[in-house]
Amino acid sequence: MNAPVPIVRIVDDDASFLTAVARFLRASGFEVRTYASAAEFLLQPEYDVPGCIIADLHMPGLSGMDLQEALAKEGHKLPIIFLSGQGDIPTSVQAIRRGAEDFLTKCAPKEELLNAVNRAINRDAHERAERERLEALRARLATLTLREHEVLQHVVQGKLNKQIAFDLSIHERTVKYHRTSIMTKLNAFSSAELTKLWIEAGTIKK
Amino acid sequence: MMRAETPTQFATALRWFHVPVWIIIVSLMGFVLVHLRAGRRWLAWIVCILRTFSLLLNFLVGQNLNYLEVTRLRSIHFLGESVSVAEGVSNPCMFIGQLSLLLFLVFVIDAIISVWRRGDSRQALVIGGSILSFVLTAIVMGVLVVWQIVIFPLTLSIFFLGFIVVMGVEMSRSTLQVVQLSDELSQRTDWLDLAADSAGVGIWLWDFKTNHIWGTERARTLYGFSPDEPIPFEKYLSRLHPDDLNWVVQASQACIKDGTDFRDDYRIVLPDGSLRWMRVTAKTFLVSADSIPDRMTGISVDITEYKESQLKQQKEQEFTNTLLEGLPGIFYLYTLPDLRLVRWNKNHEKLTGFSSEEMYGKHVLDWFAPADYPAIAHAVEVVEEQGNVSMELEILKKDGRSLPLQATGIFFSDGKGEYLMGIGMDITRRKQMELELQQKRNELTHVTRVSMIGELASTLAHELNQPLGAILRNAEAVELMLEDQSPDIGELRDIMQDIRKDDKRAGEVIDRMRAMMKKREAPQRHIDLKLLVDEALVLVQPDAKKRKVRLVLDVNPRLPLIYGDQVQLQQVFINLLLNAFDALGDNPPEIPLVTVLVQPVGETVEVAVSDNGPGIEPDNIAHLFKPFFSTKSDGLGMGLAISRGIIEAHSGRLWAKNNKAGGATFTITLPMAGRGVA
Repeated sequence: MNAPVPIVRIVDDDASFLTAVARFLRASGFEVRTYASAAEFLLQPEYDVPGCIIADLHMPGLSGMDLQEALAKEGHKLPIIFLSGQGDIPTSVQAIRRGAEDFLTKCAPKEELLNAVNRAINRDAHERAERERLEALRARLATLTLREHEVLQHVVQGKLNKQIAFDLSIHERTVKYHRTSIMTKLNAFSSAELTKLWIEAGTIKK
Repeated sequence: MMRAETPTQFATALRWFHVPVWIIIVSLMGFVLVHLRAGRRWLAWIVCILRTFSLLLNFLVGQNLNYLEVTRLRSIHFLGESVSVAEGVSNPCMFIGQLSLLLFLVFVIDAIISVWRRGDSRQALVIGGSILSFVLTAIVMGVLVVWQIVIFPLTLSIFFLGFIVVMGVEMSRSTLQVVQLSDELSQRTDWLDLAADSAGVGIWLWDFKTNHIWGTERARTLYGFSPDEPIPFEKYLSRLHPDDLNWVVQASQACIKDGTDFRDDYRIVLPDGSLRWMRVTAKTFLVSADSIPDRMTGISVDITEYKESQLKQQKEQEFTNTLLEGLPGIFYLYTLPDLRLVRWNKNHEKLTGFSSEEMYGKHVLDWFAPADYPAIAHAVEVVEEQGNVSMELEILKKDGRSLPLQATGIFFSDGKGEYLMGIGMDITRRKQMELELQQKRNELTHVTRVSMIGELASTLAHELNQPLGAILRNAEAVELMLEDQSPDIGELRDIMQDIRKDDKRAGEVIDRMRAMMKKREAPQRHIDLKLLVDEALVLVQPDAKKRKVRLVLDVNPRLPLIYGDQVQLQQVFINLLLNAFDALGDNPPEIPLVTVLVQPVGETVEVAVSDNGPGIEPDNIAHLFKPFFSTKSDGLGMGLAISRGIIEAHSGRLWAKNNKAGGATFTITLPMAGRGVA
């Protein structure tokens, strides 16, 4: 499968600065998309595309912090790097606490900016991979029949086949059959592995 | 006796003769004792006893004191007369009679000596001499005749006669004198009484022997005695005020003992209970010859009114003193017009450190520094013309430090002279508080300015960081793109254009900030620079005074108006003046001087502020007007930058240069107001 190229989204009301940063990042080898305001970004967020956001903290209308809040509400977790004409400590602390990837001044050295962007993209990639793995697991769990599901619930509680057969009022051999089917469907090799998958799947559901 | 016919007759006559002899001797002794006031009493008694004894013997033993028995009579001629003299056996008892005569002699001699010593030599010679010769003769004759060594009539009538004549003359003379004297005395006493009475003086005499007091009518009235009432000394004492009784008695006794005079005031309480003050002068008199005090005479005057007024005066004085000493400030009284200090309170000494010797006669100007002389002279004039003045001033203490006072001056005349008096309150604390307040205010102003500039800087930084950030990123992009084998020239050109655009934007930000700093809703109007500079000088005058800087203003009277913001321009002038003062702060020249010269130059008006301080270091001249450049430890470095900004906003110029003669000059030129501008 062809992994999509991460895109750096830049949100700034200052067109000149927007262009300049875009240029610099493009020249540094990044795919870049620019937005003149937070609202414009939220119209076409393209959450599926990996990457990160660079946003000006002070913007007319929605500010950088407002953007961060809106993203959190929608459950999308694109890492955000904040830029500011002048950093002040209270704002930066608040931003970092809410999960901002970084907080830089507009005149920050390019290394700092590049490091921050790379770190954000990596984090995004990692989070995305994790999300996909759990997504797949959930899909496999969905292929289980109702009875298989029942048996699995008992298995993850550490019950023996005999006990499961007694609980479900079915034959012990039938339990064994279901177990094999579950192992195959979920691509697991032991009941311990089954338990781990079950817990991970449960986490996702929540 | 001299005419006796028989020896028995003679003996009997002689016996009786001794009776008048006894009388004569006793009365002579009495005369000596009483009239001459001389002779020893005990000796007189012995003589008297012996004589009496011998008189007894005269009648008991033999025919008389001289003869046991007269054997025969002989007739002799004495002074042409035939007189009888006796012959017979002498009586041994005659010895006692002679002894008594001898002692009488001693008594008389002793008396004569004491009279002589007393200075009464005439009496001693006349009376004493006659008595003496009589006694001597009597003794010698008695012995010689009786023992028949000489034949002589025993009768000594001739001596008696001489003696009696002398005594009579003497006594009558004395009596005459006494009468004369007493006449004179009584006249004098009358005069004295009259004088004493009219002066309210009571004369009295205290006789120690009787311990009674005699007094003139006035004296009796003064002490509350009736004219005839006897006054024993105790009665007199009962008049004395209980508090004065003891010391008066003691002092009197001391005077009597030492023979000195008594001079003092004491209180008496009259029978009606009223209290009077007496002034008494008394003299002790001694009995002549032996220093035995005899009497004391004196005069008493009622001084109650005087005492009361004196007490009142004293009370008033005490009141005044308490008031002056209790004053929280200093009090002073200067004579007018010579302005010498004649009266002050202890506080004055304490606060200024001068002793009372140093204070007395101090001239009012001695308290001040010469620079204050005109102000003080003016204040004195105000007091003389308007009666009072109140001002703040600083006087010099002994240690040279100054003492700030809130002082008053009041014109005062007591009929004898004119004075300037007043009080001064120490206002050191108030001054200190004012100073602290001023400092706090300055600090506050400074803080406000700093925070304002901080805010300004923050906005400035934010505004500037946008274009600067853009320029930076663009530049970095270019760098990266140039690493490429075939960079996109068109894009590079775009970038360069953007960089230039952003640079311009940054410049615009700065311009906008400057404009903001300058703006401040300045109402533009026509301004008379003379008034403006005058006002600025008034505002910095306290500073100048504090720093002892002399300010000289030289304004050309034909000054054109200029056009601009009065407040801003005044800020510039004040800033330049304060800078000039600061320049004179360290190592000030002998006469720190700041000169302001205002004059028209071509189409402009020039204002030059010069000081005679150390001048500007050549390295610093170029940076003087840059923001945040300061040579002062507490300076913000904005003053001159803002000043230049303001002047340039007025289309003027502001520059600095060092003077040839030392110090620096800051010069402003402002264009004169155009005729078209209203």
